[in-house]
Amino acid sequence: MTIPSLQGLQTALSGLIAEQTALDTAGNNIANANTEGYSRETALLEPDSPLTIPALSSHTGLGAQLGTGVSVTTITRVRNEYLDAQYRSQNSSLSSATANAEVLEQAQSAFNEPSSAGIAAQLSNFWSAWNSLATSPTEEAAKQAVVAAGEQLATTIKQLGSQLSAISSEVTEQYEALTGPSGEVAMIAEQVAQLNGQIKLSEEGGIPPNEMLDRRDALLDKLSSLANITVTEEPDHMDTVTFGEAEKPLVEGTKFNWPQELTASSGGRLGALLSLTSPEGALTQLQSSLDGVAQTLAATVNEHVATPFFSGESAATLAVAVKSSEVSAAGTEEAAGANKVAQAIAALRGGAAEKDYAALVEKVGSDVQGAKNDESNMQTTVTAINDQRQSVSGVSLDEEMTNLITFQRGYQASARTLTAMSEMLETLIEHTGVVGL
Amino acid sequence: MVTSTTLDNLNASLAAMERTSDELSSGKTILEPSDNPYGASQVIDLQSQLEGLSTYEANAQDGISWEQTASSSMDNMSEVTQRVRELLVQGANGTYNKSDLETMALDVEQLTETIKQDANAQYAGQYIFSGTATTTAPYESGANDEYAGNEEGVSRSVGPGASITITTNISSLLGNGEASEDGGLLDTLRSIAKTMRNGTAEAQSELGGVYLEKLDGNMETLRDLQASAGSATDQMQTALTRNEDLQSSITGALANVDSTNVAEASIDYANEQAAYEAALRAGASIVQESLLNFLQ
Repeated sequence: MTIPSLQGLQTALSGLIAEQTALDTAGNNIANANTEGYSRETALLEPDSPLTIPALSSHTGLGAQLGTGVSVTTITRVRNEYLDAQYRSQNSSLSSATANAEVLEQAQSAFNEPSSAGIAAQLSNFWSAWNSLATSPTEEAAKQAVVAAGEQLATTIKQLGSQLSAISSEVTEQYEALTGPSGEVAMIAEQVAQLNGQIKLSEEGGIPPNEMLDRRDALLDKLSSLANITVTEEPDHMDTVTFGEAEKPLVEGTKFNWPQELTASSGGRLGALLSLTSPEGALTQLQSSLDGVAQTLAATVNEHVATPFFSGESAATLAVAVKSSEVSAAGTEEAAGANKVAQAIAALRGGAAEKDYAALVEKVGSDVQGAKNDESNMQTTVTAINDQRQSVSGVSLDEEMTNLITFQRGYQASARTLTAMSEMLETLIEHTGVVGL
Repeated sequence: MVTSTTLDNLNASLAAMERTSDELSSGKTILEPSDNPYGASQVIDLQSQLEGLSTYEANAQDGISWEQTASSSMDNMSEVTQRVRELLVQGANGTYNKSDLETMALDVEQLTETIKQDANAQYAGQYIFSGTATTTAPYESGANDEYAGNEEGVSRSVGPGASITITTNISSLLGNGEASEDGGLLDTLRSIAKTMRNGTAEAQSELGGVYLEKLDGNMETLRDLQASAGSATDQMQTALTRNEDLQSSITGALANVDSTNVAEASIDYANEQAAYEAALRAGASIVQESLLNFLQ
């Protein structure tokens, strides 16, 4: 067997095509250098199957294999699945911490402490008003001041209570918006299921659907911020996605199961939203502690007076129950100028109500501090993992520029090979083909 | 990657700078409870204590003014009683005739009225000698010498758990008049006037004897009352001084918890500013460099 004369041309051509494809891939990488979710692609080159030159032929002596050039077997995404899984798990924790911090910070600013207008200042004013009444027990103005300070205090507590419930219902609304029929979860799940189908078809056709894989990965990244997810790639290239503590997988093949019930320990933003408003949740605890402050205040003040000064058992219902004419610095049996009652109430300053409130402020402060610390720690971790991921999948312009030069030179060299072949054939055809003329 | 890291660092330096600037401009290190949760609860506690101290201060000052009013009334009573005593001594020496004694009796009755007026002294619209019945005048003018107040005391809180009674029990001095025969000052004065009008030699000797003794006894009681009003004033003065010390120590504690140390914060701010500028400069030059700059 002999080597076909024109084989060299084919070999050079395969080199040209392969180098051009690789050059195109590098160009595409550069074009997508700043595209979110894009994974760097590389053209996988493989030598073509060689021509076997049999042994012991009259021309060649020993047998050999002659390469016939190169072909691009596939263009693959450079991606580390392990880093993806890690990123998603940490990203869930990060967005859980972010949601916690956002909500608790709102709650904290509702407290408006330390300031001259917060509940602490109003409590202080209230005790001072009783003290003034102790000094002028018979003055109508002092009684009015006590009622006014009491009403202002009750209103401030009531306002904080309703702000906290507003935050709590906003949290629930946010959860419902995200999980609703046209919410983010449903939309992402639907798109992932669709992409699963398309990817399967494409893979079956032997075409690696890089762009669709990137899109599916980007969607899964996004989904991981809503709750913990696990992604299992099935043999048919479709991803099965479990979501939070949901009973059934969110995405199975080309189907998605939503809506489903989630629990507070689902992780991600949704888990955080659920846990904040759960009975043991931070927001619920703040509300019940505030109710406790209102109760303590009412109980400790009412204890000293014949007709209850405050009515109501919770922050929302706390109100002043008496008119200024019913306020008295003296006990029922005493003369108008006696001030024992007013003195006793003024002495409640620094007492149980105030201590409970200070503890509540300390609690909201440490809740927020903790949530913020969690957030910044998780942010660091997520950034680190994302950096690692970027170093694998991201486009480095330096690297691409180097590739560009490599492939360009390769292309030039292949072209030069073609020229050499052509010159060789020219010798054969032009200078040896004159026999018989 | 370099860009995102650089951006994160820039944001971090900017946030630190903002924080220090907030602390400098507000003068507080605790701007919200999460800055220092325990500190925030301490601030609430300390501010309440401070406010409490200022109410105790106001109470003590009010009490002192009350006692000053009481003291000046009692000083007047003392002067008036002294004048009665002089009349009593004159009336007893036997050189005055009946009409002179009649004039003296009128004088004594007028002075009695003056004492009752002094007993009706008011401070900030409250009768100070009526016990807790501060809306009722202790004595009405005229012949009725019945004490209309009560025996209860009005007090002022001048410190945590420290309460000082400021009411002077004037009825222990003045009593309920002649009808009650309680030996109070009013009883004594009415009896003196009556005895002067009587004008007999026996009556005159009574003036110098038993009535002078009674009057001296009443004056002794008045001095006791004056002394106890004075000691209440002293106690309140002491409370004021202690209060001032406490206020300054709590203000100091409060400053330790939540006030910005301006010198420290200013230096921090300058450092952070320098760091931010350096980060900006470094970022600008790092990000610009790439292989592209060197390719032909």
